[in-house]
Amino acid sequence: MLRKRLVALLMVSILMLTLVVGCGQKAENKPDAEGAKDTGKEKVEISLWLTPQWKGVFEANEEGADYDSFFKYAAKRFSEEYEDYDVTVDVQVIAGDQRDELLNVNLNGGTPPDIFYESVFAMGDYAHRGALVPLNDIVDDTAKKDIAQNFWDVVTFGDDIYFYPFSHMPGTLVYNADMFRAAGLDEYIGGENEIKTWSLEEFEKILNTLKTKLPKDKYTNAYPMALFALNNQGDTWNLAYLRMFGNKFFDEDGNIILNDEKGVKAVKWLKKIYDAGLTNPGAESVSSNDCNAMFQNQQLAISFTNSVLFNNLKADMESGKVAKFDARLANIPSESGEPLTFTYVTGSCVFNTNDETRMKVSKDFVKFFSSDPELVKASKNGVPVRTSVAEEFKSEKPLFEAYDKNSKYLFNFTGNVPGYSELRQVLYPELQALYTGEKTPEQVVKDYQTKGNEVIQNAKKNSVIYNK
Amino acid sequence: MMKINKKSLKQNLTGYLFIMPQLLLFLIFMVYPIFEGIRLSLYKIDYKTETFVGLQNYITLFKDPVFTQATINTIIFVVCIVALTVVFALFVASAVFDKDARYVSFIRGSYYIPVMVSMVVMSMIWSFLLNPANGLIPYLARQAGLPTVNFLGNRSLVKPVIIFITFTTNVGQAIILYIAAMIGVPKEIFEAAEVDGANRLEVIFKILIPLVRPTTIYITIINIIAVLKIFVVIQLLTGGGPNNASTTLMYYLYNNAFKYNRLGVASAVGVIMFIITLILSVPQLRAMFRGQEQ
Repeated sequence: MLRKRLVALLMVSILMLTLVVGCGQKAENKPDAEGAKDTGKEKVEISLWLTPQWKGVFEANEEGADYDSFFKYAAKRFSEEYEDYDVTVDVQVIAGDQRDELLNVNLNGGTPPDIFYESVFAMGDYAHRGALVPLNDIVDDTAKKDIAQNFWDVVTFGDDIYFYPFSHMPGTLVYNADMFRAAGLDEYIGGENEIKTWSLEEFEKILNTLKTKLPKDKYTNAYPMALFALNNQGDTWNLAYLRMFGNKFFDEDGNIILNDEKGVKAVKWLKKIYDAGLTNPGAESVSSNDCNAMFQNQQLAISFTNSVLFNNLKADMESGKVAKFDARLANIPSESGEPLTFTYVTGSCVFNTNDETRMKVSKDFVKFFSSDPELVKASKNGVPVRTSVAEEFKSEKPLFEAYDKNSKYLFNFTGNVPGYSELRQVLYPELQALYTGEKTPEQVVKDYQTKGNEVIQNAKKNSVIYNK
Repeated sequence: MMKINKKSLKQNLTGYLFIMPQLLLFLIFMVYPIFEGIRLSLYKIDYKTETFVGLQNYITLFKDPVFTQATINTIIFVVCIVALTVVFALFVASAVFDKDARYVSFIRGSYYIPVMVSMVVMSMIWSFLLNPANGLIPYLARQAGLPTVNFLGNRSLVKPVIIFITFTTNVGQAIILYIAAMIGVPKEIFEAAEVDGANRLEVIFKILIPLVRPTTIYITIINIIAVLKIFVVIQLLTGGGPNNASTTLMYYLYNNAFKYNRLGVASAVGVIMFIITLILSVPQLRAMFRGQEQ
């Protein structure tokens, strides 16, 4: 009996020991980090996350081109050339619609990435929340001269620069000129390297003609225009549509002022084209990704795009992934005749990881790939923020000039308000309610304004930049 | 009295030691998070600081119409899916349990396949089928000249669609359990019923259903708990839309925790869900224990 019990006790002890050892394993591995004697430098591992931007190091048609190619190449060069530490960079591509989830989880768990490359508008909140470190010390005068002031304005929160701008992506509409021709709309087709501007009447005429005249046998299951409200992806276009009738959207104190005659008119217009069947059906449960795929399949004649998406489309056509058709750019029209356009400035920010070494290395890496004469050339995949790069590729990329001409119509869609990420979650449920007929346009603008301003007020209270 | 307790403790020491590892894991990974969740629900949590706010998070919740909507939706899902699963599984199991073994295996297999497929895959396939712009079903309907409805974007249709999808992936498990329970019912009882001249319906309602009651209770509890946490379908198929018509408590919790970064509010939702589950489970657990005592 006693022996039996002894054996049992022994077994339990072994079990517990295994558990303890299992938990302790990680701690024992730690000293390994400094084992890099061969290079003579201390090993530092940093992580870089990005959302899908351009494919390839410099060109989308390189072999094996992917979203992380550029940063892997930059990391390789950096670790070869960096003198202070032996650096390894772990590059991860994150889906755009999961960015906030992943970052929030990792921030609260104390494991944010060291560097994040993304559109500044989507990351501004993290600066307000005190999660990012200022980058003033890595921006030198050469960079300040080469990059125009309006880009520095976008990346400056309070007094500090939080993002190192790399390129920007102007957002426009894209249309299938072949479908226009098939519907007899030749006169509305702009030049190949032009961003065509239509008046609102012309735009409505185009949509109506596409609906009635587009040959059904050639383009089955096709619709005139993309409209989506499933989630916050691509919401900047929806925000642009809300400004079509002249509403300014934000007042000087950063409050939403959509609830006026012009705002209601814009929302009514969206409902009108949706109800008239001038857009894809089911906008309330269709995402911008769905619409983009439908445009590529020639099921939509007019859709949304930005410079990178447009480049990727062209590259996919060249490589045969997408059937070739004549895709061209157009502006978002407005009632006044002056079109609407916006741009996403993309760049890198560095998270506050409380690890001085890693933060220093991260900053040095950001400075390296954002200013190295060879690497900055990759910004031609969007539109370069550096004048020197834009000049260099002017002849190769005729659209750069068109984007430049268009820049006088730019509007600032974030209004630089705090809480912008949460604000984005407020718009699409209201648009869903609009398209399903649950709310009238008047109710939609009223509810959006109330809820949106509540979000902004709360975020202002918590912003480290507002409460400095 | 003390002596006996001490003695029994000594006697059972080995037993306690054996369950110790599991108990430790349970305490660390289940009990501790529950208390931590309750604590967090009383705090306002910013990236770096925690401020005690009392019941403010709960007040915010009860003032939020989306929370009310999510609670109602969740209750509708639980009631409909659990009722549908139990009734349909009983129907299928009682119809086939005494048939040829190969036939029973075939039925069991066909209903069990959706259970094995990941919920993510199922949701994506349904999304391919139902997407109003480029999904297969709306496309075929348009080709056939039928009027099309947006199954995912219509307020009154979206809940039945989700109930149906979740039901199809849930019901296989219940059918397997029921068939096993019914096969276990002693043959003599059926023979006696046959002698007494009972018809099939009477056999089902007076013998089968009462005798598989423990299984019914088990299936009900398991399904209630599973459906209360319904999330993947919502996330992948509707995103809680249109205008929160299909938002559930779990999805609302997720949004608050990870999208809006309101961990305190999210913890409060978690606490409320915990209480609801507890309340729903108590009468059933009691019934189960009473059944065992008899």
